[in-house]
Amino acid sequence: MTHLSMEQLVALREPGVEPGTQAARAHLDGCDACRTEFDRLHQRIARLRALPSLRPTRDRWPEVRARFASERRARRLRWVAVAGLAAAASVAIVAGVRSMHRPLPAAVPAELSEAMARSQALEAAIDQYHPESRVLDGRTARIAQELEDRIAAVDRELQNTDLADPGRRQTQELQLWRERVGLLDALVDVHLTRASNVGL
Amino acid sequence: MSKALVMDSYLLADAKTVLAQAKAGDPAGFEALYRAFETPVYNLCRRICRTAEDAEDVLQETFLEICRSIGQYREDGSLWGWIRTIAASKALMRLRRNKYRDTDELNDEVVGHRREDTHLRMDLEAALERLSETSRAVVWLHDVEGYTHEEIAAMMGKTPSFSKSQLARAHARLRRWLGEEVAA
Repeated sequence: MTHLSMEQLVALREPGVEPGTQAARAHLDGCDACRTEFDRLHQRIARLRALPSLRPTRDRWPEVRARFASERRARRLRWVAVAGLAAAASVAIVAGVRSMHRPLPAAVPAELSEAMARSQALEAAIDQYHPESRVLDGRTARIAQELEDRIAAVDRELQNTDLADPGRRQTQELQLWRERVGLLDALVDVHLTRASNVGL
Repeated sequence: MSKALVMDSYLLADAKTVLAQAKAGDPAGFEALYRAFETPVYNLCRRICRTAEDAEDVLQETFLEICRSIGQYREDGSLWGWIRTIAASKALMRLRRNKYRDTDELNDEVVGHRREDTHLRMDLEAALERLSETSRAVVWLHDVEGYTHEEIAAMMGKTPSFSKSQLARAHARLRRWLGEEVAA
């Protein structure tokens, strides 16, 4: 007697009807040996599903967080560069338009450009330390992470300034960019202090 | 409720809040996702990859991808289903990149049944580990994770027939190594 192959037994577990399934089911109904094999297949699969979950040997979240933060920094640098160009262009356009009607309030836009440029320079300085590839002690890592998180929060607020009242937008933007510069300055200090402590 | 949706509520009770945090770029949201899904993602990766080191690398790559792409998750299906597919794809990519020789299959075809196999009953973990990476991946993705042959074929860049034949060969080997052959 020809028994069912493993391919046929495995196919019998699939939903739906494949070619040859009916004949295989008819054989299964009449063959003790094949029914035993089919039951063993079910049991084997049940045992596979019951295998204990394997766990990683160490916590990989710090590496994930560091790499993602590094990618976000790189994106912000690009965004700052683009925004800086756009701001310079919009100042030029506004100056061109407003000069026809009333004097341009020169102080706010210039300070905004200066804050953005300073922020960009600080980002570049941080990148020189390759912080994502350095091992920091727990306290330093915590401080660096808190600063990164606060910078990310400022960035989110900057993105939302589009929704602000036009009259207040520039003031709000300037305030946020200055806060960003302050946080980046502190982050540079953290990495600089750590670098000088290990003789770099 | 599907198994994947059951997993969602089991692993992450406050999924809506965590997702909103993660989509807003809040690091606490990302970390909550990592803590909730670290073990099932690693388990899937370890069952497909050959080494623990590869599996840990794929775990890291998976969560990096989740952080980058969380904005694309549409919340119309299972969160675990979405995460699991990223993990499975990354693990299979790692296999393709490593291109280990399937020495077990080669030996079985050339040498035939080894004498010691008829006397050696492995436990299931050892037998699973002994399968070729491709066979083990298909067995795990189909029988444990519940992917269809069509889905597995799409992830592997193969045909559903390939997936079906790999599954059958894997079970034939597991049956032999587990000592389940019925005495003639």
